[in-house]
Amino acid sequence: MSLSRRELLKMGLLAVCGTVIPLSALEILKPEAAASLIRPYSEHKRWAFVVDTTKCVGCGMCVKACKLENEIPFNIDVQRTWVERYVQLKNGDVLIDSPHGARNGYIKNDPQGKEINEAEVAKGIFVPKLCNQCEKPSCVQVCPVGATYKTSDGVVLVDKGWCIGCGYCINNCPYLARFFSPVTNTADKCTFCYHRITKGLNTACMDACAFGARKIGMLNDPNSEVAKIISTERVSVLKPEYGNEPQVFYIGLDAIVR
Amino acid sequence: MSHAWRPVFVVLAVVAAIVVMRVILVPSDFTAKDGDYKYQWHRLSAEQVSKDFTVKHRGRDFCGQCHPNHIEKMKDSGHQNIQCENCHVMYEPAKKSHPINLKEDFGYLLNIGIDRSRELCKRCHAELSYRPKTYTSSKGTEKFKQIDPTKHNPGIECAMCHDVHSAGFKTAAK
Ligand code: HEC
Ligand code: HEC
Ligand code: HEC
Ligand code: HEC
Repeated sequence: MSLSRRELLKMGLLAVCGTVIPLSALEILKPEAAASLIRPYSEHKRWAFVVDTTKCVGCGMCVKACKLENEIPFNIDVQRTWVERYVQLKNGDVLIDSPHGARNGYIKNDPQGKEINEAEVAKGIFVPKLCNQCEKPSCVQVCPVGATYKTSDGVVLVDKGWCIGCGYCINNCPYLARFFSPVTNTADKCTFCYHRITKGLNTACMDACAFGARKIGMLNDPNSEVAKIISTERVSVLKPEYGNEPQVFYIGLDAIVR
Repeated sequence: MSHAWRPVFVVLAVVAAIVVMRVILVPSDFTAKDGDYKYQWHRLSAEQVSKDFTVKHRGRDFCGQCHPNHIEKMKDSGHQNIQCENCHVMYEPAKKSHPINLKEDFGYLLNIGIDRSRELCKRCHAELSYRPKTYTSSKGTEKFKQIDPTKHNPGIECAMCHDVHSAGFKTAAK
């Protein structure tokens, strides 16, 4: 077979053009994607959380309410939600602490137990943390017995009657949101107060917050405050590099926050 | 029959035993919901267990049934957004002092009492340079007043001078 220079160039160009069209260019043809052009919110229910760190004063009322609501022993250092304090000093040092998960609040300027003169502080920030109820929870993937799972509405739960307490999930959470419960001897974690949100109530931590730093709502409900904030304001998530797709969105995070 | 078949029968017997064990041991409601084996493989009945957990914090409306004057007092005050339960729930059952047994009559499980310690107020009001200086109420964004607890009347309970519910002062008569 003989190939003219013209034909070679033609075929070569065609081949190059063909290979550079990414498969994702054809994604729009998927029915869900096409539907989202007409209706921007999907039918799929999904709980999500917004934490406004600019409003958090570090009183720790949320931690107290969470512990009492979910029967986590108050005086033991395990908690489903906790508040971290990040203090950057003028000399550049960053001090991070969360004494007892902040269940008694922050009442003086003593990061890591050392009293610090207010004049030395460059900036500080309180960061409430809780389970991120990830879209791709790495804790669920490692459970050897199927005792932890994601519900259809996106909340990751622990089946306490089935958990064998091996602790894999606790090690596998990049957010350290899981702990070993000394009461049930199983893994335990924040459930977004599943017993409350499924009854139409707010989470205990959200109700306890007098400053409006915590909000829960349906991601796919255009009227929910959470959906409005996520779609119109500048939000970020913690540790996106792990690829867990966390569903707790933060307002006002800083580079010193981990 | 060739003796070579024997290991095959052993393997088949083991497989059969595993399948039988699995049917016996794995609860029948173990399912991959939405066909998602990766994240939703679980006992369906466990979801109901999580939903049936008792609600403990019932909020202002519950307390308001019998304490309407306190609700009224707090309604327009700086403390309007704070739940009664934030200040009044005791985590040590011994500190419970509510004269009415809310557990028997209302199935209310938390221990209600009074905490007059300065520590309670300091959780919000102790001055820290990085504590937000504004807060949002029904009136919009307002200044959030903080005090230095080492200078602001140390040693005396805040409730001696301040009326906690109206976030103001106690009248001289009291
Ligand atoms: C069934 C009605 C009822 C409900 C509901 C109720 N209370 Fe009371 N409470 C009373 C009565 C009656 C008293 C005693 C009279 C008084 O001091 O006003 C009292 C007294 C108190 C006291 C004073 C206790 C003391 O040691 O002197 C506090 C604090 C209190 N209630 C808080 C609450 C809170 C917070 C709630 C909501 C979780 C609540 N109550 C719900 C009826 C109720
Ligand atoms: C900021 C914390 C705080 C909040 C919020 C709060 N209380 Fe109190 N409450 C106190 C303190 C402190 C006392 C003790 C007051 C004293 O000794 O003068 C008290 C006393 C009481 C008493 C005893 C009688 C009295 O008035 O001294 C009752 C009843 C009571 N509170 C009910 C409520 C109810 C109902 C709510 C919710 C609407 C509520 N409180 C919200 C801190 C609080
Ligand atoms: C959950 C956080 C919180 C707690 C706990 C709390 N407060 Fe407040 N307080 C506030 C907020 C928010 C305001 C309204 C903003 C302001 O006026 O500074 C306020 C306002 C006040 C004011 C009015 C200040 C003014 O001049 O307008 C006083 C007085 C006060 N609180 C005293 C107390 C005392 C006493 C306690 C302890 C029993 C207490 N607070 C506990 C959050 C709290
Ligand atoms: C001896 C009585 C007394 C005690 C005890 C007391 N206060 Fe005050 N407080 C006052 C007076 C008087 C004022 C108004 C004058 C001022 O600003 O100092 C005031 C003002 C305040 C203000 C408003 C400050 C501002 O910038 O306008 C807050 C908030 C406050 N107090 C909180 C507290 C807290 C929290 C405690 C307990 C840790 C406490 N107070 C204990 C008498 C008292």
